[in-house]
Amino acid sequence: MKNCYLGIDVGSVSTNVVLMDDNKKIISKIYIRTNGKPIDAVQRGLREVKSQIKEDINVKAVGTTGSGRHLASTIIGSDVVKNEITAHGIAALNFVDGVRTILEIGGQDSKIILLKDGIINDFAMNTVCAAGTGSFLDRQAARMEIDIKDFGGLALESKNSVRIAGRCAVFAESDMIHKQQLGHNQEDIIKGLCDAMVRNYLNNLAKGKEIAGPVVFQGGVAANVGIKKSFEEALGTQIFVPPHYDVMGALGCCLLAKEHAAKGNKTKFQGFDIINSGYDVKGIECCDCANMCEVIEILRDGQLTARWGDKCGKWSDLVKSDIERLA
Amino acid sequence: MAIKVGIPRGLWFYDYYPLWKTFYEYLGAEVVLSRPTNKQILDMGVKNTVDEACLPVKVFHGHVIDLKDKVDYIFVPKIMSVYEKEYICPKFCGLPEMVFHSIKDLPQLIDVEINFNKSRKNLEETIYKFGYYITRDKEKIKKAYEKALENYSNYKMKLRNGYLPIDGKFVDFNNKLDKNIRSRIAIVGHTYNMYDSYTSMNLFNKLKKDKVDITVPEMIDFEIINKYANELEKKMFWSFGRKLLGSSMYFAQVQNVDGIIYISSFGCGIDSIIQDLFERNARKQGKIPFLLLTIDEHSGEAGINTRIEAFLDMIEWRKRNEGNLSAHG
Repeated sequence: MKNCYLGIDVGSVSTNVVLMDDNKKIISKIYIRTNGKPIDAVQRGLREVKSQIKEDINVKAVGTTGSGRHLASTIIGSDVVKNEITAHGIAALNFVDGVRTILEIGGQDSKIILLKDGIINDFAMNTVCAAGTGSFLDRQAARMEIDIKDFGGLALESKNSVRIAGRCAVFAESDMIHKQQLGHNQEDIIKGLCDAMVRNYLNNLAKGKEIAGPVVFQGGVAANVGIKKSFEEALGTQIFVPPHYDVMGALGCCLLAKEHAAKGNKTKFQGFDIINSGYDVKGIECCDCANMCEVIEILRDGQLTARWGDKCGKWSDLVKSDIERLA
Repeated sequence: MAIKVGIPRGLWFYDYYPLWKTFYEYLGAEVVLSRPTNKQILDMGVKNTVDEACLPVKVFHGHVIDLKDKVDYIFVPKIMSVYEKEYICPKFCGLPEMVFHSIKDLPQLIDVEINFNKSRKNLEETIYKFGYYITRDKEKIKKAYEKALENYSNYKMKLRNGYLPIDGKFVDFNNKLDKNIRSRIAIVGHTYNMYDSYTSMNLFNKLKKDKVDITVPEMIDFEIINKYANELEKKMFWSFGRKLLGSSMYFAQVQNVDGIIYISSFGCGIDSIIQDLFERNARKQGKIPFLLLTIDEHSGEAGINTRIEAFLDMIEWRKRNEGNLSAHG
């Protein structure tokens, strides 16, 4: 029986599952689209992991991260629930020697993490606007009817980059359309978009921060060679994309889970059986006060397992007492 | 029946409301506060404010709407300047006009101009003007103002001692003796962003729950802030800005916090400069970790929570400098 650690990163665009062994070797890694259905994505991810592993495994601990980390945690029963920044930082620290700067662009968020002496020293995330993140690239690729996988490659073919406004996704899109109607070819426009996104990232997130090498580029968008090239041009330094760039968050969770287990904690993992359970989510608007909170209920096979979304806590408290009564 | 004066729970509310509440109550009026910010108030505010305005101005409009059918007067002074050669945010200066033209069927607004930019000589006359809405008795108005000032200084004293007016109600954040404190963090920003628990997404209580000792500029001696602010190369002519910059220099110098969280509303003109200068002071001079939280209309808390959690993690990690992190957060 092999000891394993499970890490799950439920992001806005993708859900990643990683299974790691005691020697920090990755046994299985899954990258799937969340498609707006995080619960379903977690189940699909686990199902795929299960079908990939041949040997007997013993899951010692589970960690979740990403914007859906709490949801994922209630579904699979996780031991560590960690924010994306810490998870990404830990993964990079473990898998890239001496990393000083992490550029991370995901579906809805982009982050910069600066490390010093092996710890996170500073970080920033994009503000209210999600311009220049993966979902925007997705949208543009879909609009131009290009497979997102080929998107970055096309940028490399450009010989004459076109300037695109990068500050706001809406402006960028209209600028792209204007340029396209002027007759600029697609590669140049895509290259322009990559440059614009990088410019926006560096002006917004990296403003006033010292970007020291080695620089690591991770997150789903790191698959885009066009963006990587634009970063290299803008920073004048080599950018390193780690082999598991797309699942670094989940990988970080594995490491955190391992640490958690090493302290002798027992896991709360509910087992792979949950892939066969039926999950229902019910939303109710509480009308007891003017806040009108949107309360979410998670039901596993018809049984209430979690509730959240209320400001006053009376709904989420209720489920706690319900469960205690059942126990 | 007593005249009802409504005070909206927004903008200058957290800085001044005890002053005006006492003032009008002494004059015999009944003071009605709008309810703490909730979704309904926010929605109403957003619907009835010019689109360009920042979140706190929208919230303020919501509070005015919340009051308008309950009172005889709504207190919306035209605050131009409260200190010599300084100004308040331009949106404060135009607030009565903005409210008046955006919201229909309003009761009369108490929109006296407060302008001490040139001097404080007109203070007495200004106070009388505020009082005339209730009485013509100058002596009584004077007396009411004295009482109000007294109450106001008590209020500021309470703030100094760590009782913070979350939604206008004092909550004790003076937990310096608590041994379980993980770290000490300063929360800074405009008071209306900080103390409105709805718009700040309950930041204070979240941090308190996470065993963080909180300090705010209101807890620092005003004279100390001014002393530091006077060291600025050029005088900061926004009153709120001066207070924030002075405190940033204080934190950088005294080094008594592990981190600083700056809470700012999206599109704030003053913060576009102040926040950046603040960050430079804190981060570069003081080497203090700095986190900017930008708030706007969104009610999803995931983004804010992620940033706070990561920030606390980082501080703890920096403090201990070993890979020993808590499992949750």
